Amino acid sequence: MDLVEKEHDRLLKRVRTSQGINNVQATIDLLQSARDTIAADPNQAAVTLAKLQNPVKASFNAINDSLKETHGGLNKYTKSLDKIFKDRPLPSTEHDALSEQEHLINRAIAMHLLREGQFSVAATFLSEIAEKKALMQHCESSSSASPEPASLLNLDEVPSHEIRKEFASMYYILSQMKERKNLLPAIEWSRENREALEARGSNLEFELCRLQFVWLYHGESENPGGNHVPGNWRAATAYAKREFHTFLPRYLREVQQLMGAMAFCPNLQGSPYSAIFNNSSAWDDVAQFFTREFCSLLGLSADSPLYIATTAGAIALPTLLKLQTIMKAKRTEWTSDNELPVEIPLPPSYLFHSIFVCPVSKEQATDENPPMMMPCGHVIAEESLKRLSKGSRFKCPYCPNESHMKDARKVFL
Amino acid sequence: MAAELTSIKLNPESHLILDQPLLRLPHELARRNFKTVQRVVEREKEYVLPALKEAANASLSNTHTPDQTLAALDAMISRMQGLKRKMQSLQEEEKKIQTQSRKRIQHLEALYNIPSLADVKYDQWSRVRLDRLLVDHMLRSGYSESAKQLAKERDIEGLVDLEVFTQCQRVVESLHRGETKEALQWCGENKAALKKSQHNLEFELRLQQYIEMVRTQDPSKKIDAINHARKYLVSNQDPDSKEIQRAAGMLVFAQDTRAEPYKTFFSHDRWKFLSDLFIQTHHELLSLPSQPLLHIALSAGLSALKTPLCHSAYTSSSSNSQSTTTSVCPICSTELNELARRMPYAHHSKSYVEGDPIVLPNGRVYGKARLLDISKNVGSVESGKVKDPTTGEVFDESEMKKVYIM
Repeated sequence: MDLVEKEHDRLLKRVRTSQGINNVQATIDLLQSARDTIAADPNQAAVTLAKLQNPVKASFNAINDSLKETHGGLNKYTKSLDKIFKDRPLPSTEHDALSEQEHLINRAIAMHLLREGQFSVAATFLSEIAEKKALMQHCESSSSASPEPASLLNLDEVPSHEIRKEFASMYYILSQMKERKNLLPAIEWSRENREALEARGSNLEFELCRLQFVWLYHGESENPGGNHVPGNWRAATAYAKREFHTFLPRYLREVQQLMGAMAFCPNLQGSPYSAIFNNSSAWDDVAQFFTREFCSLLGLSADSPLYIATTAGAIALPTLLKLQTIMKAKRTEWTSDNELPVEIPLPPSYLFHSIFVCPVSKEQATDENPPMMMPCGHVIAEESLKRLSKGSRFKCPYCPNESHMKDARKVFL
Repeated sequence: MAAELTSIKLNPESHLILDQPLLRLPHELARRNFKTVQRVVEREKEYVLPALKEAANASLSNTHTPDQTLAALDAMISRMQGLKRKMQSLQEEEKKIQTQSRKRIQHLEALYNIPSLADVKYDQWSRVRLDRLLVDHMLRSGYSESAKQLAKERDIEGLVDLEVFTQCQRVVESLHRGETKEALQWCGENKAALKKSQHNLEFELRLQQYIEMVRTQDPSKKIDAINHARKYLVSNQDPDSKEIQRAAGMLVFAQDTRAEPYKTFFSHDRWKFLSDLFIQTHHELLSLPSQPLLHIALSAGLSALKTPLCHSAYTSSSSNSQSTTTSVCPICSTELNELARRMPYAHHSKSYVEGDPIVLPNGRVYGKARLLDISKNVGSVESGKVKDPTTGEVFDESEMKKVYIM
């Protein structure tokens, strides 16, 4: 990369000096002065013109020389680019399975834009898709050929109106939270969805209310002219009295902590509770927590899947490319269509599911070949189990226990 | 632990695979620009030098009056001034291209300063990359307005090639309308580079013009068609080639013919073929990959993330939307689920499960700590009981059984 930068620097410098144009100007000056001489004294014409031949030729040569230099610079830059990208061609384009599913990609993009709060871009995008679709349908009806299945075009390819509304309200709540430190819309939302949140074991509502309490405490005192009280504990305790009783059964300890902290007022810094009140990342954490819960209630992942997938793709590409070249060189083909032949080293945060690889067959468990637990608690894949037991009692491959096929139970990871 | 460290290491060199066009494209443009400069200089040189010589000879032999000499010099000066203007505007163009390249190099350079994939900076960088890929995809699919808007809102206009694609799109649309003019003009501008191309775009375009003339069945138009073929088709191709013979044969067929290959010649689908050919030639010339980069990244990413559980009939215990301690897997999320259905899943050689796994009587496996944590937070569960976050069933804590997964 350093080399690329160096070569590019040279190019940029050369552009700035504009050597070529200066040479052209010099030629013009030559011609102009000759013209002036001739105009002043027509008798000099022959001599002046004869004298002019060589300088003009020379100045054209100078122009060409500077062009050559530029050309050399461009070529050097090309070479530096080749060097950095060498042996790293883009993957072959033989089978682009995704291009047949353009509508699904577009849907994913539209959803991504909505997630990111890019509502106006999303709207433009959707209307442009609709336009193109209309145009294509028009073309198809006018030309008799290519009767494409109409169902394909009518597939639900745009996010529904409800989803758009949901994301709009999510963005409203988040912007209120982040820009104006206003938690009330979020609290209201969590109240409306209290049952669903509770079923998930989520304490979002309490987290929000606790932050609201902290925010109130740090807020401006209502009568700043009066006695100097750091923090507005009056507003905070009033809020606690009003709101916290619903949380008492589940969050008794946490509420007690908050109330206990009030006893230290105004010297909260020195209290054992200061961490609760001086948590700089609290707002970001809560915003992230809220986004996750909001998306989960819609059955969606918290981070944009498109983002995670493309990032994972960029991480995976070098490995996949290497594989492609090896397979080409050895003229082999991967026999199993539904599993990649190599392991791709993704960061741990990109692992979402538990993964069960049968310790006997080294195959990943699937619906057809699920993990089975023997009475001793060891798990192997069903096919391995069948092969081992052959219908009779058999020993667990990992411990001395013997068991029977029918004692094994399917487990869900 | 060692494996974990290597998996988050960022190797910038190999990480830039997707970003080649980012530098290649402006470079191709710069080279094209340079060739234009070379051409105009050459043209003026070929005019001025002989003209000067001639003027000198003429005034030596006194065949020119002084006025004529002055006029000749004036003509040369004005040509040179024209050259200067052209060079200046081309240089402006080049400056623009190179400043843009500079920004792009800096953007890529930033990757070299990020130590690990887990770094927050990588996250930001990768988001910019996604935006770039999205714009690329939109431009290629012809959604130029969206592309423009997205580039503007994300402030990445210097990192995407709006102009190049918009121009390409304009030509494609004109071909869809059944016009060859803009495409031919493009061919004219890139004549030198096109000579190396394996596709004969210009010939196909001229052939289409010929076809349109024959289509009318008007005798005078047919004469025009023959003249057109003489001028453009035969000069481009070996006169005995199959294409020329077929084109000649076309003259006796009407457009509703069912005889091949004339039926294909007359077909309106040929315009689609032409626009595809144009796109292919255009992208090759500018060393752009033929498929959207987003597709390349996505298909690799979908496979890398996919597990057999993503399209399983059973809800996964480890990643689902039913509990707050798990996040939904991106492949399971509705956005990508259908797209990933036909992709292969990732290969794993080791099991990966939560720490301290236990199994419930219904066969579901959870990390013990996580299950206890969820059950504590779910208000409706009394102490000593655990609630299965996936199915909602409640069990006694004593019913949890240790499970060994190797």
